[in-house]
Amino acid sequence: MRICSRNNADDFGAAVSFRTPLMAAALLACLLTFGCSPERVSTPGADAGRAEQLRATLSTATGGGDAGGAAASTGTGWGTLKGRFLFAGAPGESKPLMVDKDTEICSKAGVKLVDRSLLVDPATKGLANVVVFARKASRVKETTAPATPLIFDQKQCEFIAPVFAARVGQPIDVHNSDPIGHNTNIAGSSFNQLIPAGQGTLYKADAETGMPTMVTCNIHPWMKAYAVFRKDGYVAVSAADGSFTIPDLPAGEPLEMQVWHERSSGPNGALGLDNPALKWTPKGRFQIQLTPDEVKDIGTLEVPASALGT
Amino acid sequence: MKSQIVSRTFVRLHSSWAVTACSITLLMCVPGCGSTPAAWFRPNMVEATKQRLTPDQERQVATVMLAMFGTPDAPIALPETGLDEAKLQLAAGPVHSDIVGRKNGLYREHCAHCHGVTGDGLGPTAAFLNPYPRDYRPGVFKFKSTERSDKPTHEDLVRILHNGIPGTSMPSFALLSPPKVEALVEYVKYLSIRGETEIALMRAFFELDDEAQGKLPETREFLVDEMLTPVTEKWKAAADALIAVPEMASDLDLAASIAKGRELFYGDKANCVKCHGPTALGDGQANDYDDWNKAIVEVSKEVKSGVERAGETSTSGMDSEALAEHRGQLAWLDKFGRVLDGGDALRPRTIQPRNLRHGIYRGGRRPLDLYYRIHAGINGAPMPAAKGTVPPEEIWHIVNYVRSLPYELDGELGADRPMVAKDRF
Repeated sequence: MRICSRNNADDFGAAVSFRTPLMAAALLACLLTFGCSPERVSTPGADAGRAEQLRATLSTATGGGDAGGAAASTGTGWGTLKGRFLFAGAPGESKPLMVDKDTEICSKAGVKLVDRSLLVDPATKGLANVVVFARKASRVKETTAPATPLIFDQKQCEFIAPVFAARVGQPIDVHNSDPIGHNTNIAGSSFNQLIPAGQGTLYKADAETGMPTMVTCNIHPWMKAYAVFRKDGYVAVSAADGSFTIPDLPAGEPLEMQVWHERSSGPNGALGLDNPALKWTPKGRFQIQLTPDEVKDIGTLEVPASALGT
Repeated sequence: MKSQIVSRTFVRLHSSWAVTACSITLLMCVPGCGSTPAAWFRPNMVEATKQRLTPDQERQVATVMLAMFGTPDAPIALPETGLDEAKLQLAAGPVHSDIVGRKNGLYREHCAHCHGVTGDGLGPTAAFLNPYPRDYRPGVFKFKSTERSDKPTHEDLVRILHNGIPGTSMPSFALLSPPKVEALVEYVKYLSIRGETEIALMRAFFELDDEAQGKLPETREFLVDEMLTPVTEKWKAAADALIAVPEMASDLDLAASIAKGRELFYGDKANCVKCHGPTALGDGQANDYDDWNKAIVEVSKEVKSGVERAGETSTSGMDSEALAEHRGQLAWLDKFGRVLDGGDALRPRTIQPRNLRHGIYRGGRRPLDLYYRIHAGINGAPMPAAKGTVPPEEIWHIVNYVRSLPYELDGELGADRPMVAKDRF
C-alpha cells in the first residue's frame, strides 16, 4: 500500500493557509486579555483605616452627644414672603402626550393633551409651577394642619394641578371627575389606589417629601403631576403669572428657602439662579430674614432658558 | 514504515499550526493562575451619579458602609438592625465548610449569580433573564402579606424561597434545610437594609448645609439614628402591617360569585380590564414600567436631554467660571452615560400586566395570595390597591372570577379575534 510519499508538512502547509489559525489565536488572545464584559465605571474604594475608627464610634453605646436640635428660635412675630418668577426665553411648543387609551374620554372633542412641564404665561412671561418651601423653620403659626380637605382632581385624563402642595396631616381629597376609573399613584408614599369614576378618596400624607414627588396614573401612563408635602406647611407653588406668597413665616430668624422646578437642570430639580443678593446657591437655595409683620417682596426673579431643560 | 510515521508526526508537531495551538493553550492557562480577589460590594453608582457625588463623597459613603455593614465575606450587623450575625455568617463569604463542617457561603452559592453579590439584581446572569432578578437596594418587595408600602414579613420571604416565583427564573429552594433558608432570608434582609441605608446616605448630601462642605457628619446620631433606624424600623414594623383578610363566606354560591366577579372585572370600580385587557390576556397596555426600570428610564431621559442641551450650548463668549461649569456638566453626563451602559444598570423593560388565562400567579396561587394582590396592589409595580374602593366581599368575588379564568371557555373576547389555543399556553 502506498502511503502518500510527499512530505506531509509541505502538504499540510499548502492545504491550510497560515493566516486562519493565527487570526483565531490573535482573537482569542484579545478576548482573554480584555474580556467581553463592559467596562464598569471606576469608583474610589473605601478607606479601611477610617472605617475601623468609625466602627469603634458606632459600637460604643449612645453617649450624651448633642442632639443637634432644631434651629433655635430667635424671634417673635410672623412675616410674609412674596416673589415672582419670570422666564427669560422662548418656551417653545409643548410636546403632545401619547394618549392611546380610553380615547373617547381622553381625546374628547379633539382635545390634545400636552406636556405641561414648562408653563409660561404669554402675556406676563410668568413661570408657573415653581415650588418654594422653607427648609427648616423653628416655629409654626398654626400647629395643626388645616382640617378642610385640599382637592386634587383629575379630569379628561389629566391631573388638573400639574404641581400641588399640602401640609403633612392635611386631608387631601384625591378626586376623579372623569366617567372612567383612574388610579392615583403618589411615588414614595403608600398611596397607589383605584379611584372609581366620579368618586374620591381622602389621603393624609404622613411624611414630608424632600423635593416634590411624582404623581402618576398607571392606567393612563401619560398622566403626571408633582406633589410636595411639608410638615410646617411653609410651601407655595407659583401661579400662572409666576407669583407666589408664603404667609406667616417665623420672623427674626434666618430662613433658607428651597426652590424647585420640574424642568430644572440642577440636582434633584433644584433651581439655581444667579442672585448674589439673596445668596442663591447652585443647590437652589436662598436666604431671607423677616421682621415681624413684614411683607418681603423679593421682586421678579429671572429664570434663564439655560436653567431649564428642553 | 515506522520511522516514516514517526518522522511525519514529528514534523506535524513543529508545524505552525501546532505552535499556534500550543501557545493558545498556554495563554489560557496563564490568566487562570493566581488567587481570586475577594468579593466586594459595588456602590450604587446610579444613585451616586444621580446625586452628583464627587469621588471624595463616594469614598466617604463606601467607608461608612464598610464600617456599618462590613464586607461580603465578613458581614457586620449593628444591634439596631435586629439581624442575627450568626445566620449572616452562614450565608456570607465564599462557599466553604466552617470549622464544624457546616457549609457556608449559601448566598454566593444559590443567589449571587442572579441577584449579585451586592443584592443589586446585577449578577452575571441578570441581563439574560426576563423578568430581571430583584434589586433589594430600594427595599421594595412585591409579593407579601402586608399593606402596600410595608416590608414583607419573615414568613413572606421564607415562602418565596420555598415556592420560588412561578413564571420567572426564581426557583424553589424547598430542598434546602430550614436553617439554611433562615440564613438566606436573614442575608437578603441584610442586603436590603444595607442598600436602603446607602441610598439614604447618598441622598443626604443634597440636604447638607454649606457649612458641612460636602461631608456627611460621622457621628452615631447621624449615621445610626437618622440614616439606619428609619430603615430598620420599617422592617421591624412589618409584622404589624399584615393585611386583615375577612374570611370568604363558607356558604358562598361559587357560580354567583364568579358572575359578580366578572361584572367587577369589567366594571369601572376595579378597572381590571384597563390593564389586563378585555380578554384578560394582559394585553390592555404595554407602556408602563415597574419602579426599578422606571428609575433607569427617568435618569436616561435626564441624561439624554442634558446631552442635547449641552450640544446646543455654545461655549464662545463664556467666562472661565461658566466654562468650568459647562465642562463639569459634560463630565457628569459622560459619567452617567457610562454608568447606565456599563453594567451598573440593566436595559429598561416595560412591564406586562399578568396574563390571567395562564393560571400562573407569581406571588402564590392560594385564594389568599390573590386577595393580597388585589387588596394592596403590588408594591413596585403599577398594579394599584383596591383597598378602600372595593369592599372585601367584592374582592373575594374578583378572586373567584380570576381563578376561573384559565377554565373559562366562553369569556368575552375582542370583537375581531377569537381565542385560540395558543393564548392559553
